[in-house]
Amino acid sequence: MPVVHVEHLSKRFGKRVLAVDDVSFALEKGSITGFLGPNGAGKTTTLRMIVDLVRPTAGSIAVFDGRYRDLPRPWTRVGALLDASGFHPGRSGANALGVVARASGIPAARVAEVLELVELEGAARRAVKGYSTGMRQRLALACVLLGDPDLLLLDEPANGLDPEGMRWLRTFLRARAAEGKTILVSSHVLAEVEQTVDDVLIISRGRLVARGPLASLDAGASPVVRLRSPQAELLQRHLEERGAAVNRLGDALAIRGPSAPEVGEAAHQCGAVLHELITERPSLEDLFLEIAGTRRPES
Amino acid sequence: MIDLVAAELLKLRSTRTALGLLIAAVLVGLAPAVLILIFAPAEVLEDETVGGFGFLVTGVTVVPLLGLVFGILSMTNEYRHGTITYSYLVTPRRARVIAVKLFVCFGVGIVVLALVGSLVTLTAIIGYEVRSLELETSFLFEDGVAETLALVLLAAGLMAALGVGLGALFRNQPATVAGTLIWALAGENIVVSLKPAVGQYLPFAALQQVVTGGVTVSTGAEVGLSRPEAFLVSLGYIAVVSIAAVYTTMRRDVT
Ligand SMILES: Nc1ncnc2c1ncn2[C@@H]1O[C@H](COP(=O)(O)OP(=O)(O)O)[C@@H](O)[C@H]1O
Ligand SMILES: [Mg+2]
Repeated sequence: MPVVHVEHLSKRFGKRVLAVDDVSFALEKGSITGFLGPNGAGKTTTLRMIVDLVRPTAGSIAVFDGRYRDLPRPWTRVGALLDASGFHPGRSGANALGVVARASGIPAARVAEVLELVELEGAARRAVKGYSTGMRQRLALACVLLGDPDLLLLDEPANGLDPEGMRWLRTFLRARAAEGKTILVSSHVLAEVEQTVDDVLIISRGRLVARGPLASLDAGASPVVRLRSPQAELLQRHLEERGAAVNRLGDALAIRGPSAPEVGEAAHQCGAVLHELITERPSLEDLFLEIAGTRRPES
Repeated sequence: MIDLVAAELLKLRSTRTALGLLIAAVLVGLAPAVLILIFAPAEVLEDETVGGFGFLVTGVTVVPLLGLVFGILSMTNEYRHGTITYSYLVTPRRARVIAVKLFVCFGVGIVVLALVGSLVTLTAIIGYEVRSLELETSFLFEDGVAETLALVLLAAGLMAALGVGLGALFRNQPATVAGTLIWALAGENIVVSLKPAVGQYLPFAALQQVVTGGVTVSTGAEVGLSRPEAFLVSLGYIAVVSIAAVYTTMRRDVT
């Protein structure tokens, strides 16, 4: 039984904005899934619908087999980081967590524990307005861990973190994963979660456009063959007649479709001279951007 | 529920908003009393018709208005700072979040008015003693005074609760505070003076009448609602606003 089961989920804001469009996925117990997509793709809206903050226009959501609002003491089952700025600036970090602990029936001693876990014990008594972005992000993570939940939903936890903070976050997520928690972590930058997640869901303009193990992402990716030739124009026409996608810039061609040997043979057939011929594998990031539709296939 | 009340009280204790308003309430209540005690001539303070005591509590009548602002702030602060997200994550049954806030602010409104009232009474006793004047207190023990006092305290609680309801309904802090105060202090007065028969039923006029028992119109005539009537009308407003607040809050997206 999946921990989270989302089926045909849609959300419309007003008449115009279809923020989430028929999204379905399931999170298995103990899985770490990256929820990727450019800004405005619908990640935050989806996460907020899972925890009943936003009402779906259509579709169904099951969290631990039921609705989030029907979970008794939900903060001990699910930890959601949705907005690192969700703290009163005048309240101390310890009190901010104290309020949440109190309302969830979590013992007050747990506050000090989680603050230590995110290395904020030194700043616990200080007002949140004096915290740096990274400290706020860690406070939000501490808050998420208060109830020691089995499911973590983290919306862009790496936002605003410096490289050291990012490294800290990766270690943090791996430690939680080692504890067997189910994690869904969103990001608009693949590199932020690439080293942490096993599976990815890629969302673009509200629709899921790819899903599966991270490793399978580049399986369907076609490499780009690049070449330089004094007869570039002639060769371009020849390749295009055979169905390849070709972009030309001066004497340089970028070709999608045929492999490098096939391109070499084609050049020989039409008598074009090659000065350079290489195969370029797109990076995972390029692929992600391409799948997510923020960038046209590279020229 | 007890956990939620405790959390709400921790919210109040852990920022300066509540403390600031408490200090303001004490100052607003005490300052006129102290000034009057120092500067008013003896015959005014010993006047038996108005009762010198009647003058001394002028500042106290402003305290429920601060309670109203307190209620609005305690709700709208959650939207303003985004803490509402955590409140609803922890308690997804949103009606409970609002109900607990209504209840806590209602209690705080009563306690603060009782506190300021007691401080003013204490100050009066000391002031009269210092000036060797006779403080007329016998009217405090007349029939119906205890009941009136109870209604006044409850009305102060209702003001704070009304603030919570309005805050939940409108969410925007500056607009709700400004709009409510302008309506309460100016808007209703205009209606009351033009059409007292209608005006007497308006929410803040009703709450005011719980304290004053009726309204005095420009002709000097006393019209309006008796204290218990005014209290029931006020209660009706709180109920309507609270239900509307819960109804809209349950349907709104928190983004
Ligand atoms: N409260 C809202 N009202 C109207 N449109 C919204 C609201 N929240 C989000 N949107 C729109 O929904 C789309 C998805 O937003 P969001 O879920 O925040 O994306 P992401 O988190 O992937 O950046 C965007 O076009 C955004 O402008
Ligand atoms: Mg987002």
